[in-house]
Amino acid sequence: MDSQPEPVSYICGDCGMENTLKPGDVIQCRECGYRILYKKRTRRIVQYEAR
Amino acid sequence: MEKMKKSSKANQSDYESLRELFKPHIESFDYLVDSGIETLLSNIHPVEIQDPITKKTLKIFFGEHELHNPQKSRGHKTFNSVLYPYECRQAGITYEGKFTLEVCFQYDSKWSTREKISFGKLPIMLKSKLCHLRDSDPSQLLHRKEEATEMGGYFIVNGLEKLVRLLIMQKRNHPMSVIRSKFRERQEGFTDKAIMIRCVRDDQSSVSNRLYYLQNGSARFGFWIRGKEYLLPVGVVLKALIDTNDLEIYGSLTCSYSEEYQGRKGAVATQLVGERVRIILDEVQDLSLSTHLRCLQHIGEYFKPVMDGLENESNSDVGASVLRNYIFVHLQKDDEKYNLLIFMLQKLFALVDHTAAPDNLDALQNQEVLLPGHLIAIYLKEKLQEWLYKTRKLLKEELQKNGENFESLTGVQIKKFLDKNPSKNVGMAIENMLKTGRIVTQSGIDLQQSGGMTVAAERLNFLRFISHFRSVHRGAAFAGQRNTSVRKLLPEAWGFLCPVHTPDGEPCGLLNHMASTCRITSFFDSQGNAKDFLKIRLSILNILAGIGMTPSLPKLVRAGPPEVLSVLLDGCVVGSISSDIAEKAASHLRKLKLFPSSGIPEDLEVGYVPLSFGGAYPGLYLFTTPSRFLRPVRNISVSSNGPKDIELIGPFEQAYMEIRCPDGGNGGRRDGFPATHEEIHPTGMLSVVANLTPFSDHNQSPRNMYQCQMAKQTMAFSSQALRFRADQKLYHLQTPQTPIVRTAAYSKYHIDEFPTGTNAIVAVLAYTGFDMEDAMILNKSSVERGMFHGTIYQVETIDLEDQKELSDQAQSLFARSNIEKHSSIDADGLPYVGQMLHPDEPYYSVHNIVNNSTKTFKLKGSEPVIVDYVAVDKGTKQKPPQKASEYSVQASEESYHW
Repeated sequence: MDSQPEPVSYICGDCGMENTLKPGDVIQCRECGYRILYKKRTRRIVQYEAR
Repeated sequence: MEKMKKSSKANQSDYESLRELFKPHIESFDYLVDSGIETLLSNIHPVEIQDPITKKTLKIFFGEHELHNPQKSRGHKTFNSVLYPYECRQAGITYEGKFTLEVCFQYDSKWSTREKISFGKLPIMLKSKLCHLRDSDPSQLLHRKEEATEMGGYFIVNGLEKLVRLLIMQKRNHPMSVIRSKFRERQEGFTDKAIMIRCVRDDQSSVSNRLYYLQNGSARFGFWIRGKEYLLPVGVVLKALIDTNDLEIYGSLTCSYSEEYQGRKGAVATQLVGERVRIILDEVQDLSLSTHLRCLQHIGEYFKPVMDGLENESNSDVGASVLRNYIFVHLQKDDEKYNLLIFMLQKLFALVDHTAAPDNLDALQNQEVLLPGHLIAIYLKEKLQEWLYKTRKLLKEELQKNGENFESLTGVQIKKFLDKNPSKNVGMAIENMLKTGRIVTQSGIDLQQSGGMTVAAERLNFLRFISHFRSVHRGAAFAGQRNTSVRKLLPEAWGFLCPVHTPDGEPCGLLNHMASTCRITSFFDSQGNAKDFLKIRLSILNILAGIGMTPSLPKLVRAGPPEVLSVLLDGCVVGSISSDIAEKAASHLRKLKLFPSSGIPEDLEVGYVPLSFGGAYPGLYLFTTPSRFLRPVRNISVSSNGPKDIELIGPFEQAYMEIRCPDGGNGGRRDGFPATHEEIHPTGMLSVVANLTPFSDHNQSPRNMYQCQMAKQTMAFSSQALRFRADQKLYHLQTPQTPIVRTAAYSKYHIDEFPTGTNAIVAVLAYTGFDMEDAMILNKSSVERGMFHGTIYQVETIDLEDQKELSDQAQSLFARSNIEKHSSIDADGLPYVGQMLHPDEPYYSVHNIVNNSTKTFKLKGSEPVIVDYVAVDKGTKQKPPQKASEYSVQASEESYHW
């Protein structure tokens, strides 16, 4: 396993606060303690097939 | 800002018409929360245990109860411990509230201890009084991540939406004459004729009673105890109920016969009645049971082995307990029971003599509906009673084993002892019933079926969703029958059940839908206040007495039809009224129904059955009970043309009313019977879905039926809160349209919030090849530009707890391996949001901490998907912390054939 995994950003399902989590972190919003977090949309370029 | 507030307020009242459709479900659950649990607790039999040595008794019974609204299981660290429905859907848990009861232990009727014991959790219906969404307006609902239109009425069990099916039941507390050849097989000498009555207690549990006619002219009284039918001679029951003599019984049974009325209209009794009464009385004589006490003792002796916990009581006490708990349980006083039994015998004899016609149990006139709150009340009562019995059994065993006495049972020991009979199972049983729809019980609780009580509230589209809540099922027992007479559309159902909206095929005619204006009576009046049935009955009695009714208590009036008619109020013979004034009395009551100040409830059912030649048994039958069908019509005998003339009528009274429909013509009504009422709207008889078909009266009738089916299968906007739902599969139409031609119901029920389908502007039928229903020629370019495009949302739920079982005890978490990197997996081991995935592409990986191995998982299925969102959630069970749900979008596949 990677020694320093890059953190990934999540958005709290209740207050909308951005949280960055590393693997193994407790899944909980730092602001309000809410336990459902949504992953942010990727910054990578995504291209869909359009005809 | 001001404007926004205003518009949100307007919206809330707008959706009122939608909410109205779901009221039967919600009101019944509100009853359970308000007073239902209290009533059922008071009706549960306490258990008593006697110490074999000291002869002291221990009595166990229930005290106060508490039912809470849904809360999160662990409050620590989270500031907000309120559990919302959306969280239950997302996390796959149940929307339920804690349920605790006070269990009282009374020793030798001296000192007692009370223990507050948790009975687990009870599922809470959405939008009911205990739901957090109860008073939310549309904007608050949006904030809670619900639909703006959210109407509730269902439960969330393990993240799935479940609703209780409305089942047709025999109308409560009303004796009905039935002819069934099956009755002959019961025993030697039985005929096919009987009177049936389904008696319902105030806690909604019911016991059915039957009165069979025998070939020799006598009758047998039948009732069920724990799934077995017991039969008693009527004479014994009559005498056991009150202290009376043979002459009196003879008098009250034969009084309805009078020679001068013989052959006249409405004469129901014949000369033979006297003969039969003599046989009934001789039977009692032959058993040498002459007195009231002897009859009670006889019943007590006979039933002692089957009555629970009455082993040490005297025979007469056991007999009284049988009468109280199994015979006419809707009535409290023995006088009332006696009077009802006399009435039933008269009705039975009229059926035998063909002076009165049998009642049709398949007609809606004689039916009502089983509501979710009532079903839960019945089942909860059963389970709590079972728990008490089991506690008694365990305590008895304990006493025999250890030779201990009760004094040693202190609080701590009671708690320890009760662990053997986990009280939490009671809450689990209710949850399981909602989950599986199955009822597990020893006594049968007087229901016709034990499975299929609940269905999933599918959200394939909005119309399908609504239809689930408006559907009424005849019962699983009829589905397997070859006999199709129960599926018939009978005229009695007019205005209550939709004639169009029933599926074709196997459940045709068994699964019906309520008409759009149809309601169900409940424990609440139209203002939402709880009804006081005792007060209502009293004021009805007062008004009846004022009109000219002779009260039946203490003794029945010695006369019968056609001279006087019996008046029954909720299955209690309250008196008799001269047949000349009965019709006037009925219309007077109807007028009073329109005025809330009169004390007559607006949903009173005034079933006036007039005198006839061999028709239905005459009488004035009044009903105030809940769970009856109800619909509004205009009373045109009242002059005012406002909201004051809208009367709510039931299916029983409707059969004897003259209702005109303003669709032109008078429906073949004869001049002798002028209309007293008028339909409000010609399409009020159709269900919500059937009401959406424009010009339905210009269609061949099965086309309307097919449309109802198709409308419920169409791909549409199934939900506006797609992002917050975790259904296994959801369909979504990209560009739905609103119909060009629409009915008023379309806007009334806000179908535009969830539009279905796309208008075909030009369709050309192919000359050969397709069936006309399947094919349409489309412009290829338009389709490629997005016409008719749809999306399937699928949810992949990965619970690391489940994976733990597969491997070993090790803890695992989502993480990416740095040895073999996949372009489709992010640093957290989960896919990138917005990215496209192809079948067999790895999309998540799980890292095992103990053996330091990483495993990747590949996408199943045959279609490429787009990741719509990834949500991570700390599991409800404390240990393994991670759980991820993933939404995938699939572009729908069109098939090109050219």
